[in-house]
Amino acid sequence: MHIPDAFIPLPQAVVYWIVALFFLALAVKWARSEINEDKIPLIAVLAAGIFALQSFNLPVSMGTSGHLVGGALAAIVLGSPFAAIFILTLVLIIQAFIFGDGGITTLGANIVNMGVIGGFVGYYTYQGLLKAVKNSYVSAAIAAWLACLIPALACAIEMALAGTFPLIPGIISMGVYHAIIGIIEGIVTAVVLYILAMARPDLMDVKTGVGTA
Amino acid sequence: MMDNKTFIAAGIIVAILIGVIAVFMASGDPDGLESSALVVSGQKELTGLSPEDGDAEVVGTGDFAYESPMPDYSLGEEMGSTGGILAIIAGIIITLVVVIGATYAIRLKNEGSKS
Repeated sequence: MHIPDAFIPLPQAVVYWIVALFFLALAVKWARSEINEDKIPLIAVLAAGIFALQSFNLPVSMGTSGHLVGGALAAIVLGSPFAAIFILTLVLIIQAFIFGDGGITTLGANIVNMGVIGGFVGYYTYQGLLKAVKNSYVSAAIAAWLACLIPALACAIEMALAGTFPLIPGIISMGVYHAIIGIIEGIVTAVVLYILAMARPDLMDVKTGVGTA
Repeated sequence: MMDNKTFIAAGIIVAILIGVIAVFMASGDPDGLESSALVVSGQKELTGLSPEDGDAEVVGTGDFAYESPMPDYSLGEEMGSTGGILAIIAGIIITLVVVIGATYAIRLKNEGSKS
């Protein structure tokens, strides 16, 4: 759901940039206080993995493909929605400037959707579900599904505000495609969480319940 | 439990594997947003196949243009999948360098403000 330059008029794109920079400042503050030497390998590997996963367009039928976003994964593993904003912002900057994936003027909107909305939805859904269902992998999968779907719906609304998509058809279409992409996102998020918990349980900021789940 | 070096090495290898598989296996269909653009511009049915020559950008109104050095994760048609693999590996390395660099830069500033 990387929005290209042509899809949002400049005055609106500036508004998303302002929102993105506000949250980015908070994410830098988070990074300054929370990232210690031990966490750097995990953050680097997560970012590289998210970059690779995002380049992989999986077929989701109906003439459409989709790739993972990774916002929920970053937020859950590092225990903060700001982790998602931090990592996703860096990945999105690289994608836009070097690979032409997502626009430059629309980079702010893409950070807001995938980093901010994806990170917050993913993190808080996970925290809420974990209390209810007591299974970190099920919680993470559902959180990741929502963290794919909700940013897509936000994107559809932004497209309607921009006059690029009509509101209802845009919401239906973005919703249907990303509800399917989100299922893959959910499964991969749970699997990656499991692998990370096996490899480096000490780095995880969440109780994953490996061995008990 | 893995030590840091093994963990980073394993992470990079997994990322490169995913990227290389993506070059060969990735779907050529438009992504969710482009596909939606085709639907709302009447070039595609919601559940139908995407047209071969569909133009998602037709709904756009902006005229800002930026030419990236490796568009669509490739080095151009003539480089084919080799170019795709090189582009993905370059992207993974750039991501690692940028993230580690940004993290250290933030931490350095942190330590500077403490002293």
